Amino acid sequence: MAVEELGEQKLRIDVEDLHIAYDGRTVVAGAHLIAAEGEITGLVGPNGSGKSSLLRTVYRHLKPVGGRVLLDGTDLRELSPVQAARRVAALPQERGGDFELTVREVVAMGRTPYKRAFAAEDATDRDVVSKALADVGMADHTGRRFTELSGGERQRVLLARAFAQQTDVLVLDEPTNHLDIRHQVELLALLRAQRRTTLVSLHDLNAAASVCDRLHVLHEGNVVASGPPREVLIPALLAEVFGVHAAVVEHPLTGDPLIAFDHRAPADGPVLPRSGPTTARVGS
Amino acid sequence: MIDALLSRQRTDARRQARSVPAGPMAAVLAVALLVALTAAVSWGSTSIAPGEVWGVVGRRLSGEAPRPGTDDLIVWQLRVPRALLAALVGAGLGLVGTAMQALVRNPLADPYFLGISNGASLGAVAAIVLGVGTGGALGLGLSGAAFAGALATFALVWTVARRRGGFAPLRLVLAGVAIGQFLSGFTSYLVLQAGDEQQTQSVLFWLMGSLSGASWQLLAVPAVAVPATLVWLQARARALNALLMGDETAAGLGVDAARLRRELFTATSLLTGVLVAVSGAIAFVALMVPHACRLVVGGDHRRLLPVSALFGALLLVVVDIVCRTAMDTQELPVGVVTSLIGAPALLYLLDRRLGSGS
Repeated sequence: MAVEELGEQKLRIDVEDLHIAYDGRTVVAGAHLIAAEGEITGLVGPNGSGKSSLLRTVYRHLKPVGGRVLLDGTDLRELSPVQAARRVAALPQERGGDFELTVREVVAMGRTPYKRAFAAEDATDRDVVSKALADVGMADHTGRRFTELSGGERQRVLLARAFAQQTDVLVLDEPTNHLDIRHQVELLALLRAQRRTTLVSLHDLNAAASVCDRLHVLHEGNVVASGPPREVLIPALLAEVFGVHAAVVEHPLTGDPLIAFDHRAPADGPVLPRSGPTTARVGS
Repeated sequence: MIDALLSRQRTDARRQARSVPAGPMAAVLAVALLVALTAAVSWGSTSIAPGEVWGVVGRRLSGEAPRPGTDDLIVWQLRVPRALLAALVGAGLGLVGTAMQALVRNPLADPYFLGISNGASLGAVAAIVLGVGTGGALGLGLSGAAFAGALATFALVWTVARRRGGFAPLRLVLAGVAIGQFLSGFTSYLVLQAGDEQQTQSVLFWLMGSLSGASWQLLAVPAVAVPATLVWLQARARALNALLMGDETAAGLGVDAARLRRELFTATSLLTGVLVAVSGAIAFVALMVPHACRLVVGGDHRRLLPVSALFGALLLVVVDIVCRTAMDTQELPVGVVTSLIGAPALLYLLDRRLGSGS
């Protein structure tokens, strides 16, 4: 990956020739990607393209079988788990069990990498947790049970937990999954509003196009395209990688690329008639 | 963030602050435990006034020569070790339950889940039937056999459940339940083979859990193991919290979930072995105590661990009083009473929570 294309910006995450295998099956084979300081870097690709696995190695849940992940030029493997957790906060796709934890307790977990055994919460911890809760608009819900929250509230609380970790880098795996549209928009706005270097996988290409500064497209365990959304999300790539037929237009409100999918035509299938009555449905 | 603005106006209306803070809760439990211990030593076939109870204990602890008589014998040799054993086993079961529930990320887990209790019971029953622990109904030979059974089961479940250097919660539970059932089949077979009625009697007593074998000698191991486990777990309280959310979350917080789970499995198995070795397999306490405590002080392990230990101790001391005094002619096994009060109590707690909450 050409570092010079970043210009003045600092390179925060540099994934080099990453190979990941799971249960003996290769899921990522030689991926390269970068994330620049303060930018939102998106990871898009079809199911099974290796997005989650790649993110999991960045927050150290998986160990790569080859290649390396550099954080500010330091190999991740040279850091202890706690050191790494002070630099990279993660929001994985996990729901957790029902253990009567309150919103505040979940957010306070973000302080884990800073606390020694037996250490009590101090004023700094309380301030950081309160601020993180305020930043996501959940300051009035601190005493509620985490499992009683709606999906959107839950994601905001987990984002607050990541904020409370006070890291420069944030890694999020499909944070808008299972959220209704308003909560999706809300969560993406929160991501835009914070200044951390962010690496996020997104299912929704239009969300990725509007929120990300840079995109990496994963296909069968490889990064096949990288760059600003405008350059990456082109009909040819959408057909090749995602197998869909689509036009890319300008978003009437934001000016971002807007992908208009043709739901009647798979990329390599026959194009059905666009207007006029289709075959009349019998019954129903 | 319209939602946030709206909710700010609604403000405290939806707030559900935890009703009982952990500090005062622990203090109340500690005082209640002292009262219960005093009552446990005071009450029985021969009643001894609480003042005299503490008098005997004070003289013993200060190294004074004990006053000759039956009070000293009953208090110091019989009832104090038994009350302390009840407290230690109860505290230990509270801790085992709490740790095990985090280990398999299931709030309804208990030591039976991982087969360890069944293994310990098989060891004990084998000793009784084959006549190894013949020195007294719950002699030290029997404890040794129970502990050996627990260790062997631990090794077996470990080997079966281990995969890629870690334990997936579900795999661990399935291996534990399957092996536990296998072992209790063996135990039932041995019970049928028991030679005489008295053997059968002591086997059943063991299987239902009992504190009647208490002695100062028997207290030594749990007196070290239970506090040591509490300290060990308390040092990992934050990591246990992280484990509740999932292994990936834990990894992101700098917690090595696979390693923590290996350590937890080892620690809970050892402590379960120690507890079953001195008291038999007491049902329901390890399941119910953390569950009840969680409803009162919340799920944060920094508070939950000490409160569960205290409440477990209190519960078992009280239950043992009932077991010793409910019937004139004979003692009830502890496990009978813990099951009889445990199951309805758990249902009540669950019902109350589901009714008010989700």
